[in-house]
Amino acid sequence: MEIIIDGKKCEAQYGEYVLNVARRNGIQIPALCHYDALPGQATCRLCIVEVEEGGRKKVVTSCVFPVTGEMQVFTNSEKIQRMRKNIIRLLSARAPNNEFIKKLRQEYGLLPETRFSGDDKENCILCGLCVRACDETGISAISTVNRGIEKKVSTPFDEASEACIGCGACAFVCPTGAIKMLDENGIRHLWNKDFELVRCEKCGEYFATREHIEYMKKKYGEDKCCSFCEKCRKRIAGEKMAASYRK
Amino acid sequence: MSERDNRTVLVCCGPGCLSNHSLDVYEELKARISKTDIKVDVKTTIKATGCQGLCEKGPMLRIEPDDIFYTCVKVSDVPEIVEKTLLNRQVVERLLYHEPSRNKKVLSPKETRFYGKQMKLALRNVGEIDPFSIEDYIFRGGYKALEKVLSEFSPDEVISEIEKSGLRGRGGAGFPTGRKWRQCARMKDSPRYVICNGDEGDPGAFMDRCIMEGDPHSVIEGMAIGAYAVGSHEGFMYIRDEYFLAIRNMLHAIEQARERGFLGKNILGSDFDFDVQIVRGGGAFVCGESTALMASIEGKVGEPRAKYIRSVEKGLWGKPTVLNNVETWANIPVIINRGAEWFGSIGTEKSKGTKVFSLVGKVKNTGLIEVPMGMTLRDIIFDIGGGIAEGRKFKAVQTGGPSGGCIPESLIDIPVDFDSLDRVGSMMGSGGMIVMDDRTCMVDVARYYLKFLSEESCGKCVPCREGIRRMLEILNDICEGRGRPDDLETLAELGETVKEASLCGLGKSAPNPVLTTLRYFKGEYLAHVNDKTCPAGVCKNLTVYYIDEALCKGCGLCRKSCPSGAIEGQPRQPFAIDESKCIKCGSCMDACRFGAVKTRGRA
Repeated sequence: MEIIIDGKKCEAQYGEYVLNVARRNGIQIPALCHYDALPGQATCRLCIVEVEEGGRKKVVTSCVFPVTGEMQVFTNSEKIQRMRKNIIRLLSARAPNNEFIKKLRQEYGLLPETRFSGDDKENCILCGLCVRACDETGISAISTVNRGIEKKVSTPFDEASEACIGCGACAFVCPTGAIKMLDENGIRHLWNKDFELVRCEKCGEYFATREHIEYMKKKYGEDKCCSFCEKCRKRIAGEKMAASYRK
Repeated sequence: MSERDNRTVLVCCGPGCLSNHSLDVYEELKARISKTDIKVDVKTTIKATGCQGLCEKGPMLRIEPDDIFYTCVKVSDVPEIVEKTLLNRQVVERLLYHEPSRNKKVLSPKETRFYGKQMKLALRNVGEIDPFSIEDYIFRGGYKALEKVLSEFSPDEVISEIEKSGLRGRGGAGFPTGRKWRQCARMKDSPRYVICNGDEGDPGAFMDRCIMEGDPHSVIEGMAIGAYAVGSHEGFMYIRDEYFLAIRNMLHAIEQARERGFLGKNILGSDFDFDVQIVRGGGAFVCGESTALMASIEGKVGEPRAKYIRSVEKGLWGKPTVLNNVETWANIPVIINRGAEWFGSIGTEKSKGTKVFSLVGKVKNTGLIEVPMGMTLRDIIFDIGGGIAEGRKFKAVQTGGPSGGCIPESLIDIPVDFDSLDRVGSMMGSGGMIVMDDRTCMVDVARYYLKFLSEESCGKCVPCREGIRRMLEILNDICEGRGRPDDLETLAELGETVKEASLCGLGKSAPNPVLTTLRYFKGEYLAHVNDKTCPAGVCKNLTVYYIDEALCKGCGLCRKSCPSGAIEGQPRQPFAIDESKCIKCGSCMDACRFGAVKTRGRA
């Protein structure tokens, strides 16, 4: 089926989310809590757009709004711009020094926030992507804790979590660089826990935590896991492929 | 023994009366009657019932069939009630209710405006039966509707009947119940679930609580009918854990219903199976939101999800689910028994039937009421509610719980229905109704609700979590005298974003108290911001209490009431308040009979 986004006809499939259709067609909608490999969070609300269906206009979050029929989408109407700016303002009041938020603020022509004061050290916008990523890997070591303005992301009771394998998926998907993961001297520090890092058997670089490798072995079987880092794995795969062509 | 010879004493054991020791009254009555071995020709049954409504005058007690009701009954009154009324059919005059509109004491509830103007459908049995007795419920026509449905109706016919009745969900949004059921019944996926939302969390609201406590079977029966209609075999009741009595009574009722074959396999000999279980909620306000509630039942963090794909399609565990609130379910048997047409004849064009409200705040008769849709706010507040307490002036009424709006006096002649309340910026919500008098500061009210919501927002989405927090910051500043000239504009603008861009109903309605007070009481905001004055004398930083010498008679009542020793004076001479000692509690103002204690701005 076809939908119209900002006047442009776009091909879409039934059930596909508006954000994905827009991006595929080169129409940029800002979003912080969106990650292609994970289901939509709909928490940062930056991807709000106006949708007109059957003569009625409404504000929806494009990352989870499915295409189900004819519709017109306005990603940058005056109303959307106004509200998006307010959301960015709220984010920059929360995390005034975060580089990603600063950049966003400048893009939308907003001045540094003066009415509200925020925590200079705050970087987390509570989008929940880290929690989602941790859930999807099957670990569920972190979760959102408390509610309302007290909400935060943490391990149970803020203690080093037994479940955490130090894979770093949380830090990897974080859109604002809020999760501190530090690798030094063969030790990874993450979520109040220290993990021993394992060296790649080929190049000798540290590449994963012992717990992570154990987990993968348990999940996918001993033979399906290797002890090489990502770079070496790629190189080995490439060499294999090249060898097969040579034959 | 004929029906007439049986006498029943109904002791209200609703939440309000219980906290005023009605259970002691009940026990005392029981003990006295069993002891008195009275030579009377009547058998007297004592029943502890659910809420009888007039909570302000509790503990309440009714004697049937004599149709006498007593208010503010204490344990020490029991001997006299037994001696005079039960043994000798005399009335204890001082325990009768004083009807203000006629300025006389009345015998029967029907003679009062409080009860006379009500119409009880969802509350039909609450306060009339012993909630622990399924026989009581059956005696009053209980489970007839379920029987009728199973023997005479196809599931589709049940849905048509509910659609025809025009019933809309009583939980807040007012979605047509029949349409919801129809959508669910159309789904191909199974199993399907029905859920009862008993997570009532609005401050000052106790409608659903009283139904679950006082008439649990009506909810079970409603759910069984709904389950039959949509093809579900499993139901959940989500009840907040603080509602200890509701959970206890409901558990007991479910057991009884199972024993009698109203729940379980092959209900009433049909091939329909259905059972219900209770899930206890942990007390998060947001878990009253349907998708957060389902997440909570599933054992996940109680956060809502976007509802672009609705719960009737993918609800609990991703399966088609019908969720209705307690009052909606309680209405279902009535509609089946008395017919959709009859139900549709009550109320307004688009809001059918009745609505239960907990009428609280500065009214004379606080309590639980049920009125036909379309009754005006004025009738509810001034007739049923008996007007404003202590003869003060009406200022505003807040409907719809913490995220409802404040409606000013100029609008209290609007009919109470879903759409009218919506138009004036408020909402029906689940039926909270808080009346405010002229000693209420509307900025402070907005601040109070925002504080509540800032703590109860789940914090998942940015506009709700961060927006409410910042709006609250502004309101705190305004109330404490740090308001800036452009604050009102910022409030309105943030309010719009929170309302439009939030994920769930909590955020979408959270700015209502601010936006409506800004709309109807802007002058009060301006006084706070520009003149640094709180006209109602509530915001302490902006208020100075003083005694108007011209009005003061020097009686000294103010001095006696002052907890901080801030008032000095000689008898029959004007008294004065020492500002440095005054804690601005308002006790002197309440104590003064001459209106001599006044407030002015700080400046």
